[in-house]
Amino acid sequence: MAVPTSTRPEPDRVPAVERPSAGPQPQPATWVLKVVMAVTGTVFALFVVVHLVGNLKVFLGPEEFDGYAHWLQRDLLAPLVPHGWFIWIFRSTLLTCLVAHVWAAVVLRHRARVARGPHRRQGLRSFRSFQARSMLVTGVVLLFFVVFHVLDLTTGTRPAATGEFVAGQAYANLVSSFQRPAVAAFYVLAIGTLFLHLAHGLWSVVNDLGATGRRLRAIGAAVAGAVGLLVLVGNLLIPVAVLTGVVA
Amino acid sequence: MTAPGTPPPLTPDDVRTVGTPVDGRVPDVAPESAWDDRRLHYDLVAPANRRKFTVIVVGTGLAGAGAAAALGELGYQVECFTIHDAPRRAHSVAAQGGINAARARKVDNDSVHRFVKDTVKGGDFRGREADAYRLGQESVRVIDHMNAIGAPFAREYGGALATRSFGGVQVSRTYYTRGQTGQQLQVAGANALLRQVAAGTVTLHTRQEMLDVVVADGRAQGVVVRDLVTGEVRAVTAHAVVLATGGYGNIYCKSTLARNSNATAAWRAHRRGAHFANPAFVQFHPTALPLMSQWQSKTILMSESLRNDGRIWVPVRADDDRAPGDIPEEERDYYLERRYPTFGNLTPRDVASRAARERIDAGYGVGPLKNAVYLDFADAVQRLGRATVVSRYSNLFHMYEQATGDDPLRTPMRIAPGAHFAMGGLWSDYDLMTSVPGLFVGGEVGWGYHGANRLGANSLLSACVDGWFTLPYAVPGYLAPLLGTPRLAADDAAVLDALEAVRARTERLLKNDGTQGPDRFHRRLGEILYRCAGVTRTPEGLAQGIVEIRALREEFWRDVRVLGEGAALNQELERAGRVADYLEMAELLCVDGLDRDESCGAHFRADHQTPDGEALRDDAAWCRVSAWESPAPDAADGRFVRHDEPLTFQAVPLQTRNYA
Amino acid sequence: MKLTLDVWRQPDAASPGAFETYVVTDATAEMTLLELLDRLNDQLVEDGREPVAFESDCREGICGCCGVDVDGRPHGPQANTPSCEQHVRSFADGDRVVLEPLRAAAFPVVKDLVVDRSALDRVVQAGGHVAVDAGTAPDADAARIGHETAETALDFAACIGCGACVAACPNGSASLFTGAKLTHLATLPQTRTERGRRAVDMVAQMEHDFGPCSTYGECAVVCPAGIPLSAIAAVGKERMRAFLRGRTG
Repeated sequence: MAVPTSTRPEPDRVPAVERPSAGPQPQPATWVLKVVMAVTGTVFALFVVVHLVGNLKVFLGPEEFDGYAHWLQRDLLAPLVPHGWFIWIFRSTLLTCLVAHVWAAVVLRHRARVARGPHRRQGLRSFRSFQARSMLVTGVVLLFFVVFHVLDLTTGTRPAATGEFVAGQAYANLVSSFQRPAVAAFYVLAIGTLFLHLAHGLWSVVNDLGATGRRLRAIGAAVAGAVGLLVLVGNLLIPVAVLTGVVA
Repeated sequence: MTAPGTPPPLTPDDVRTVGTPVDGRVPDVAPESAWDDRRLHYDLVAPANRRKFTVIVVGTGLAGAGAAAALGELGYQVECFTIHDAPRRAHSVAAQGGINAARARKVDNDSVHRFVKDTVKGGDFRGREADAYRLGQESVRVIDHMNAIGAPFAREYGGALATRSFGGVQVSRTYYTRGQTGQQLQVAGANALLRQVAAGTVTLHTRQEMLDVVVADGRAQGVVVRDLVTGEVRAVTAHAVVLATGGYGNIYCKSTLARNSNATAAWRAHRRGAHFANPAFVQFHPTALPLMSQWQSKTILMSESLRNDGRIWVPVRADDDRAPGDIPEEERDYYLERRYPTFGNLTPRDVASRAARERIDAGYGVGPLKNAVYLDFADAVQRLGRATVVSRYSNLFHMYEQATGDDPLRTPMRIAPGAHFAMGGLWSDYDLMTSVPGLFVGGEVGWGYHGANRLGANSLLSACVDGWFTLPYAVPGYLAPLLGTPRLAADDAAVLDALEAVRARTERLLKNDGTQGPDRFHRRLGEILYRCAGVTRTPEGLAQGIVEIRALREEFWRDVRVLGEGAALNQELERAGRVADYLEMAELLCVDGLDRDESCGAHFRADHQTPDGEALRDDAAWCRVSAWESPAPDAADGRFVRHDEPLTFQAVPLQTRNYA
Repeated sequence: MKLTLDVWRQPDAASPGAFETYVVTDATAEMTLLELLDRLNDQLVEDGREPVAFESDCREGICGCCGVDVDGRPHGPQANTPSCEQHVRSFADGDRVVLEPLRAAAFPVVKDLVVDRSALDRVVQAGGHVAVDAGTAPDADAARIGHETAETALDFAACIGCGACVAACPNGSASLFTGAKLTHLATLPQTRTERGRRAVDMVAQMEHDFGPCSTYGECAVVCPAGIPLSAIAAVGKERMRAFLRGRTG
């Protein structure tokens, strides 16, 4: 019950009572990491949209589809760059973005956990929060899927790929892969995951890159949702078409 | 009230003596030139010498943050204390309506002189004329400054500052930011303070409560504060002390003030020799929400600006239980419009409060507890359209609906007078210095400007003018001759004495073996004060109040229970200390009310009224300030001593207020 | 009306905390959440138990002192409403209500439901002010400021500094708070002068104590001042602008 008193000698200035202190900004700065996330994420978003356009050529038949694949592999940007170079420039760009995106995500998630402290936020109910909270999980699922997808349809590595894999026969490889129900199911799951990740990611891009105006934000929100839905519906058509025999 | 065998009611002579007059030290020139004259005669401190002076500022509201920031900008070392966790929380934040300024840009014939006239007349000639001039003259710079440091004042479509008119005046001189003027000014001021903290001129001490003033060699030279988190009690010394700790309206328990607003700093300063001016002058805000239940923590304030478009009425018939919508137009009594046709619903606060109280007491009150009057927007909606009315008052309507569950556009608002602003406060001279040299006041803790009644939107102004544009002149004027004087030593006898006094009092509260928490005493004190020293007062009631307060105080010290310990955050202990001070101060409030044998402004004595029920001043006897000195707690003759400061009026001749 | 309250009790920052359960049997619908706590405390004092420490001041939603977490949600069940204006009518008779302090690593518990939010002030102290000394301001009418501009600034200046946005954020981010300050001061011409420096300093300080924004949007749901979510975008906008244009502009 004692009341502590102090008559310690007065320094020139009376020190303010110790409270949690100011300090240096974490490095690299959070806002920089957010920009990295946003820019690399935008690259991926553009990629999946272009990828979807290519995918939909499956409905035009094997010649169109395989021809497009060949053009991508060999002829795109030629003769600006020698034949076959583009695809490697493209792949290395995507890989760099992927590394940067994952690295920034891990650092940011760590900072978020530290900043939140031991008591998790309870009672989140909105769809938006579900998306935001699951970004790391959806990201990891997508990472696994990308690895599988590359092994299955790009390198043709078994057991990810089917026994019938033939390099350059993109159409046939696709059809035989999706004829395995488990692979089709994993693909559907991945596309659903992609939708969640992409729709929220793009909305975050709108915010992180500083869209404050009312109209710009409305457009950004609409584009984010539309791109997500487009990628969801467009990509789902393909395994459905294979499994129902529309594409064979 | 007097039972057989009990002593007769107290008279003023039983409770006070009259001491020597006090001198306000107003410059001996025409009031409109007083401020120029005084500034010309203040001593100056050279820039290089300023950091040799330490000034303590207690409170971070508009006055405190302004004074601390401005003194810091000038180069003084400032130690700034607040009970809050952040400077921005001070109660200035809650003022809604606006801030007056005599900028007189419009052609509605406003001027500094007219501002002074409104302020002095609104205050019923119980404030200093020269003070009011300073208030008006500096008001121009206040708007410029607050605008420059980030207060987003409302603007007309053409880009000029927007103004509106406010209760008690006929011109449009009130600047505002929606219904959040106090908040915007307060945040701007607190941010300016933080700028000085960042610059190193101000050291900010949050969650520290001032519990005593250190007076040594007849000068205020420090304060004793308690760290509210650790419980540590320590003394801090300085060359001068500024108190900007707000008003004492919470003495009424249910008031429009914030829960933590308290009178302890002011009362402790009073106990160390600072006279207390006109404690009975408390304004009751006419548009507070009525009490609806026992546990309601306060009477929420609805901005007075609502009276611009709302019409106030009660049923013509007493005890009318019909719903407001069922009462036809001809059975409604728009009593303000009836009694005051010129000002109507915009009469000054005291007039509006008294009129409401009169109707409620006569049995015309509305609502389940019959303790309110209606404020009706039906006419405004018809005249202006629903959208316009909503756009003007949306946040207030929202606040009302939050508090009551009623939509004010469907059923009229219910309002009632609630204790609000303290015109009384620590007495200070023209330089804002109290009767203790070196102890200054700023804002509501002082008594200046408002006389016996404050005009709407003048409180933010007075706090800003004190903090930003008066104390930065007056404090250096006091400091200049002290150049070379060291700060009081930490082990000076006066410091140790003050520390010991605080420690002993805190310990006494903690060790008291009682049964009731401090809140219960506070509620009972509030009931006594509303009954005995409320909107309308009688000598018998005030005398009765003194007796009841003394008994309650005695019971408090016998039966208060303060749980928890001293060396930690202990809100019960904080409350107990504040209630203990209220219990001392309340007696002085009633003594002042009993002593001031007239009606003026918010102090309405039923035994001094015109046949029409208007306040009847007695200028011959009472055109003066009562600056009180309290007896020592253990004095044999426990009578208060009144020191008078006579008031003279040159620019605004004494006249009877008449809002009819 | 009977309510069972699970209240977080913690003697000080250094000690562990735990929930204690109390029952209030005479709650009424028109009580506010904080009046419910007043009622509980009165009962506790009567029983000789130490009352629950919680912060509140103006009790009309403008000072930003109050803030408790109700069933995991800062301030309480009603959106955009401070604790002092949350009412018991949001609960049903017999409900169990969990009351905790606002949760964030930057807000250490002082006692029971009281937390230390000074980290928010440090963000303001870093740059949320205007370098104009008393008396040096130009005529406020000299610069014409459009009605809409002033109103927009006010939308963001309305922040009451309660810290609920941080506690609502699963990342402990103060983006809504910081963005509101930055937008307010960047919108008004008279305070725009230090825009770049302000963004650099405030964002640096913010990042020291608070987490990154992941666009949950939970902050804007609880904000008693109704700060729009676009404030979070202002953080990136102002910071990038300062990066591209330098600190001065």
